[in-house]
Amino acid sequence: MAKRHVIIGAGPAGINAMTAIRELESEDSEITLITNEHAYSRMVLPYYIAGEIAEGQVNVGNDEYFEKLNVKTLFGKRVESIDSSGNKVTLDDGSTVDYDDLLIATGSSAAGLSVEGAGLEGVTNLWTLADANALLDVANGTDTEAVFIGAGFIGFIILNAAYKAGWKLSVVEVEDRVLPRMLDDTGAKAVEGWLGRQGVGVHTGAKVTAIEESAGKKIVKLDDGREISADVVVMATGIKANLGLVDGSGIETNQGIQVDDHMRTNIDNIYAAGDIAEGPDLSTGEKAVHAIQPTAVEHGKVAGANMAGKDVTYWGSLLINILDICKLQCASYGLWGEDGDVTVVHNDARPVYRKLVWDDDVITGAIFVGPANDIAMLNDLGMVKGLIQTKSALGPWKKYLEENPLDIRRPYVASKAASKLLKMTITGQASSERGYRHNSLQPDPNAGTSHAVYVKHHK
Amino acid sequence: MSKALKITPEKCTGCMQCELACSWVQTGTFAPSKSVIRVNVFDELASYAPYTCFQCEEAWCMNACPTNAIAIQPETGAKVVVSEACVGCSLCTIACPFGTVFYDPGTSKATKCNLCEGDPACVRACPTQAIEYEEVAGPNWVESWGEKVHQSFVAAYSEG
Repeated sequence: MAKRHVIIGAGPAGINAMTAIRELESEDSEITLITNEHAYSRMVLPYYIAGEIAEGQVNVGNDEYFEKLNVKTLFGKRVESIDSSGNKVTLDDGSTVDYDDLLIATGSSAAGLSVEGAGLEGVTNLWTLADANALLDVANGTDTEAVFIGAGFIGFIILNAAYKAGWKLSVVEVEDRVLPRMLDDTGAKAVEGWLGRQGVGVHTGAKVTAIEESAGKKIVKLDDGREISADVVVMATGIKANLGLVDGSGIETNQGIQVDDHMRTNIDNIYAAGDIAEGPDLSTGEKAVHAIQPTAVEHGKVAGANMAGKDVTYWGSLLINILDICKLQCASYGLWGEDGDVTVVHNDARPVYRKLVWDDDVITGAIFVGPANDIAMLNDLGMVKGLIQTKSALGPWKKYLEENPLDIRRPYVASKAASKLLKMTITGQASSERGYRHNSLQPDPNAGTSHAVYVKHHK
Repeated sequence: MSKALKITPEKCTGCMQCELACSWVQTGTFAPSKSVIRVNVFDELASYAPYTCFQCEEAWCMNACPTNAIAIQPETGAKVVVSEACVGCSLCTIACPFGTVFYDPGTSKATKCNLCEGDPACVRACPTQAIEYEEVAGPNWVESWGEKVHQSFVAAYSEG
């Protein structure tokens, strides 16, 4: 009998597990993909809110695609419970689905804010497509005034969308600086200065006590007495793993579901991946919930490969984040928060902020903050990731970098990180064109008019 | 075996003609800052080499992309950005450990080497055949060149 794979969750972890199974399994097994929404990318919602893409472009699959992959979809269904001894899951409509192996990739949800007025129309979390549409319903073009509660990664990726849409913005953060889980103090101060110069109001160290309605506006009240008036209030106050469905299943959890280096839980035929999984962290060797897209993808690929009968060991996730905040690029990697042995370049006026974190002669973390025009076309953003990922010992180049901290290229080349990386893969499989692309867009087979002109003159 | 950019560092003079050609083809302007091939000009080490995407097998940029905007060009096997599908989130630029995927703030899209659909302008531009487009087993040059850069550095700067 064909093997029955069940995947709960159609985010990046679930979708990548699905494609990995189809790429790696010789027999045509059964795959059932279950989600309480449909298959779309939350990462892409901000670009929809900014008006840069159509709603349909957030989707990561359509009926035709899933049919072609021979994947049965149960969309709009929530899994209520898992019977790990009976090998079946129960859905919210009471039906059950049997499995031979199961992947839990149910991600996380917006933690929300329990404050008076949080339920008002025009006050919304921004996590789902429905949230995005609710926000767009109450927005009023470039006249929209918006208050963001929570200055974390998610808050800023949506704030940047609102900036591009021309809204008037302010942001409130309970901690004493923005991006407390992505940048250190110096990086955060650089961002705050930049935001001020872009006309974005920044209120750190402030707690929202209530949201009231007055004359068609929302009034956000802060604990220091300040009041901010707005048309819309976006709550981005963190996320929490959707662990409810594993209650009573015998699956071990901590911050997330505990998985080994095969993305397997304590139960042999149950895997977990993505935001819900607490998997190996490349930097610390401990287990961690990263809740980022690249980790979810890698988790999904490793889980899928193992579900397909391969023996794929995951060497661990590297925490990486990048944000465009009103044309200021901010990136952090690995153990960026450490303050022991560091090499720093810092100038708030531009701003320029670069930080390399050392463990002996190995770079273990980094921060880049700078205008997109300064840093986005450099090799440096990726090269520093390569150095961290390969844990390359830089020997005498450490001193060189301390003296020339903007020159990543020489140490990168001399470390031969690239040749190590060419052998380093997630599943050991070459990438394929298996995935879904909106409107079945294909690469342009022509090199363009400039190329034609060039070729004509350079025979 | 498909064709790839074969780099011979010993032949590179650091003239940067490839960057000009690349930026012209990719963006319609002669701007090395927009080139997706970069010449490493290590004058003090007497070492030069053009550097661009290796078109690696399991592509980190493809893995990271939330919209599957990086496709495999069937004719060349190149990993290419499908601009209409790219939302400009920049994740590929920090996921690629080679540093060869960029975010162009002008277009708000990712940009990388697409092998010019099988007729690389950098190859045409290079006056010394330091960049050739041929069937090669793998980018072995990167290891030996890295070692040479390292040894030159050690020889020049090591104490005692």
